[in-house]
Amino acid sequence: MSVLVRVANLRVSFVTRQTRVEAVRGVSFDVRHDATLALVGESGSGKTVSAMSILRLLPENAIVDPASRIDYGGENLLAAPGARLRALRGREISAVFQEPMSSLNPVLTVGEQVAEVLRLHRRMAPRQALERAAELLAEVGIPEPRARLRAYPHELSGGQQQRVMIAMAIANEPKLLIADEPTTALDVTVQRQVLELIARLRERHRMSVLFISHDLGLVGEIADDVVVMREGEVRESGPTQRIFNAPRDPYTRALLACRPRLDTRPRRLPVIDDFMRGAAAPGAPLERPPAGANLVEAKGLRKEFRLRTGWFSSKSLVAVREVSFGVTRGRTVGLVGESGSGKTTVALLVMRLLEASGGEARLEDTDLLRLSGAQMMAFRRRIQIVFQNPYASLNPRMSIGRTLTEPMRIHRLGADEGERIERARRLLQRVGLPQDAMHRYPHEFSGGQRQRIAIARALAVEPEVLICDEPVSALDVSVQATVLNLLLDLQEERGLAYLFISHDLAVVKYMSDEVLVMREGEVVERGAPEAIYRAPQHEYTRKLLAAIPRGLEGRKFGDGALTSSGTQP
Amino acid sequence: MAAVLDVTPENAWTALWRRLQQDRVGAVSLGIVVAYLVMILFAGAGFLAGGWSREVGVPYANPAFIGERLNLEGVLRKRAEHKGVAPDLSAVDPLAPKYAEWERRTGELKMSEPERSMTLPWGGDRWGRDVLDKAIKGSQVSIAVGVTAALCATLIGTLLGAFAGFYGRWVNDFLEWLYNVFTSIPPILLIFSLAAVLRSGVFAHLFASGIWMVVIILAATGWTGMYRLVRAEYMKHRSREYVLAAQAIGASSASRMFVHILPNVSHVILVQLSLLVVAFIKVEVILSFLGLGVPVDMVSWGTMLSEAQTELVIGKWWQLAAATAFMAVFLTAFSMLTDSLRDALDPKLR
Amino acid sequence: MVPTLAGVILLVFLLFKFFGGDPAQILAGQVASQEQIDAIRRELGLDRPWYTQLGIFVREILSFDFGKSWMTREQVSAIFLTRLPATLTITIPILLLEAALAIPTAMLVAYYRGTLLDRTVMAICVAAMSISFLVYIIVGQYVLGFLLGWFPVQGWSDDFWRNLLTYAPLPILLAALVGLAPQTRLYRSFFLDETKNDYVRTARAKGLSEPAILRKHVLRNALVPVVTNVSLLVPGVFVGSFLLEIFFSIPGLGREIYLAVNRSDYPVIQAVTIYLSVLTMFINLAADVLYTFVDPRIQLR
Repeated sequence: MSVLVRVANLRVSFVTRQTRVEAVRGVSFDVRHDATLALVGESGSGKTVSAMSILRLLPENAIVDPASRIDYGGENLLAAPGARLRALRGREISAVFQEPMSSLNPVLTVGEQVAEVLRLHRRMAPRQALERAAELLAEVGIPEPRARLRAYPHELSGGQQQRVMIAMAIANEPKLLIADEPTTALDVTVQRQVLELIARLRERHRMSVLFISHDLGLVGEIADDVVVMREGEVRESGPTQRIFNAPRDPYTRALLACRPRLDTRPRRLPVIDDFMRGAAAPGAPLERPPAGANLVEAKGLRKEFRLRTGWFSSKSLVAVREVSFGVTRGRTVGLVGESGSGKTTVALLVMRLLEASGGEARLEDTDLLRLSGAQMMAFRRRIQIVFQNPYASLNPRMSIGRTLTEPMRIHRLGADEGERIERARRLLQRVGLPQDAMHRYPHEFSGGQRQRIAIARALAVEPEVLICDEPVSALDVSVQATVLNLLLDLQEERGLAYLFISHDLAVVKYMSDEVLVMREGEVVERGAPEAIYRAPQHEYTRKLLAAIPRGLEGRKFGDGALTSSGTQP
Repeated sequence: MAAVLDVTPENAWTALWRRLQQDRVGAVSLGIVVAYLVMILFAGAGFLAGGWSREVGVPYANPAFIGERLNLEGVLRKRAEHKGVAPDLSAVDPLAPKYAEWERRTGELKMSEPERSMTLPWGGDRWGRDVLDKAIKGSQVSIAVGVTAALCATLIGTLLGAFAGFYGRWVNDFLEWLYNVFTSIPPILLIFSLAAVLRSGVFAHLFASGIWMVVIILAATGWTGMYRLVRAEYMKHRSREYVLAAQAIGASSASRMFVHILPNVSHVILVQLSLLVVAFIKVEVILSFLGLGVPVDMVSWGTMLSEAQTELVIGKWWQLAAATAFMAVFLTAFSMLTDSLRDALDPKLR
Repeated sequence: MVPTLAGVILLVFLLFKFFGGDPAQILAGQVASQEQIDAIRRELGLDRPWYTQLGIFVREILSFDFGKSWMTREQVSAIFLTRLPATLTITIPILLLEAALAIPTAMLVAYYRGTLLDRTVMAICVAAMSISFLVYIIVGQYVLGFLLGWFPVQGWSDDFWRNLLTYAPLPILLAALVGLAPQTRLYRSFFLDETKNDYVRTARAKGLSEPAILRKHVLRNALVPVVTNVSLLVPGVFVGSFLLEIFFSIPGLGREIYLAVNRSDYPVIQAVTIYLSVLTMFINLAADVLYTFVDPRIQLR
């Protein structure tokens, strides 16, 4: 199959007042006709910048090296005049972005925005354009398309918003669709639907897709060719089958290996460094302590929010409904669910960061929910929490040393300041950070490092129970393994009881001894991870499992067409 | 993009200083503002322009760079100092000998009034006071009022905003009600009402001298903007994870509000404070112009402008020029500095 | 709205009652005897307890009867109504002119953002804003009115059209020019904030040109803060620019209040304050309703 777009030796730098950063360093790849090419990499790999260079949709401070070329239809797009690019955009080459809510204009109706791209390139009359827009909305699977024409973006769900974006993108039958992480911001089940939509459209309109993602599982299912990028360079590229079955580059191998797999549970997850050094080994399966008396026991937890809708009226929203579970020392209970399932709310309730509307949460024999503020202080030592967003959970204006010693000071641990600093240093060492971090500030560290600092802070008071609320969701895949390994090590060392919360079933399955599946505030299924995986009882659990991208195994046919049932091989 | 990690440990303030230095406009503005601050410190201590109220020149003395061109009033005054022999009018005016007598007697009294000069560096006003001295002293007064009032308004607005934003519920409801009350009244009316009662009311004698009346008027009217801003910031931050984490480790409410959140909000407050200084100075000038600002025994840019209005019609423009120039240079530099400050503190531009 | 109104009434009452001078003494003047002062006290009801006085105050407000001005013996309500037209003749054109000039200027500058033109215009704006309004008026009156004679220096008449075409232009012109700089800066920041949003990137990806993006997408969104800003300025329309009225001897509400302050004429000040506060509240309410048309995300509660 011939080449549609050829990117040759692309170099892009960004200039700020002080520095010049090279984001893309000599990247080359080909997008074939009527095929899907995936650009895979972690944050900072330059994949988005590379793809957006095709349409020159770059920030104002971007500088493209004149020696770079992007060939399309016999011309170099990088040298083309602005008017030519504008003629191409939205007509022959289109783009879909990651955040559908903010990518749509909030004050214009959906119909107006879809019709706009038709009127711009095809000079359609307004009424005609709206007609066609309705047809497009139907094609992307929006129910009641005619009525939806007059809707505003905020009235649609995330999945529907993304469908509207896709409708705008395919309106003029483009030859190439650039999709920049189109499903990352969506729930797993919705993700599956949107991917299927893109695949269907690709086939029907015979267009090529340039798909950007950080998720290898996804990529394995849908792409024909893969380009693996890291820090602005191409590490490896080739057909999907070859890349997945016989990866040559150590980074590629690391990416493939360090995600928790659904079928095995090794003692340690392999990390990037292992692969780069060539010292990777799958390792023995994990051994867990047996179940015992519950250290933490929650019964009938309930949280209801009252929203004021007027002067005297209000509406109630039940976020958590009758949730019960028990955690033993040294073991982990996993809570999995999509956004809005209430799993984070459960964590906040147990920590008394949010007041519960009902139920009880016992630590040994004391019901934490009935304690006064002063009484709760004593218990704050025993149960701690690690939050999801490592960029938000550390105070940007506090040095690491102060962040670590503050909890000790509050709970009067350590005889004096000197001893507290000593303890802080040892904590840093335990989580694998250098000693000089004490004087530095959070913005100087990467996401994974910050998360380790957050773990260190939680451990500063020597708790018995640790609640992990999506601790690795905001991290790159390669870094996730490091943090998960650290958590497991600490659990083994100190006999900590974990409540592990995530939307990622694979991660939850790996970390937990018992899994609870939550949906809209309720626990719909619970059981041992293996049992949940092999024989899901509830329909929602099955849907959740089916939606997980499996990589090569998820492909039914060699050409990347997806199925909707996703049964196991 | 590839991450660029700082090698040297650096907190927000040293980063700010570094970025400010690299901004040429910001550096020049900072220099000008510092120069003014030094000037008003000297003026406040009395080393500079201490004798601004002394009538050292003839009325409407010309500025030195114009020289001794026609100055009718000045010439008359000068003549009055050097009395020549008066013509004998006793035939016409029966009191003439008496006048001569009084003239002779007053001439004997040694008045240590120094001779008045015909020109002053930047001219004189109606009573012959040195305009340059007045401009310097006026700078001190106007800037002092602006800064003091801004600090007061910031203190009030920040405290109230922090409580409203952090606690929410009934504390927020009450403070929002208070905010609504104050903002429903058109600011000019509030200023006028306060001016009316403070001048003629029970505390009038307290405010007869000094800048506190103006400062109170400005602070009572201007705290609302800062309140709104700080409240919005606190509402944003109180559900951020680092605050939840602080709560999880057991930090008290006060600690969370002022030890954790405040340092993260301080850059916003700083920029708003600077904007308030500029706004308050401009309002003070207008109030003093109308006689509702600083007391009569003080000089500010506003009082200079009030005199300038009538002076302009008879062609004496230098007091207007002096006041305008001193004010414009300072406010322009300060505004530019605020802009640079805002850019330097913007995390997105890092 | 009602609690806010109650608060305003309370604030004005307390302010004048506890901080203000003794109304009886002020009214009686300097050379009044004690009996005269006491008589006035009784007439004004000042010998009754404070809550009764508050009640009287509230009643006066609701019945629009504030009595007479202490100085001119004119009915306060009459003062209000007769002075308002002059004020509005000046301030409404100013508001319209400012908005009409600032929006295109800001859009133009937003289009050329980052260039030398942008920075120069912004620097000029900053410098222009550093000169007091007073100076503009003084110099403007002197040069344009006195020296060049293009406009009358001062004055007002009884005929609306004569006012609008002869006496009003100079003050309107000065005010609009002075207001142009800060409004341009403000609106420019609104536009620039909007251009940073993701939907602008989507519009570019569709192939729209920069001017089209500014016109069709950014402007619509920037209208939201613009409406906020204008609705904050509308109450000011009624108070008027008292400075303009004083300088140009225009018999408007602003000048009236200033004169009242000078002679400590409490009833006038109190009445105008309360009524204009009520007006402000109504305007805010209207602005809230206007929002729902401008921003579809907002719903009326």
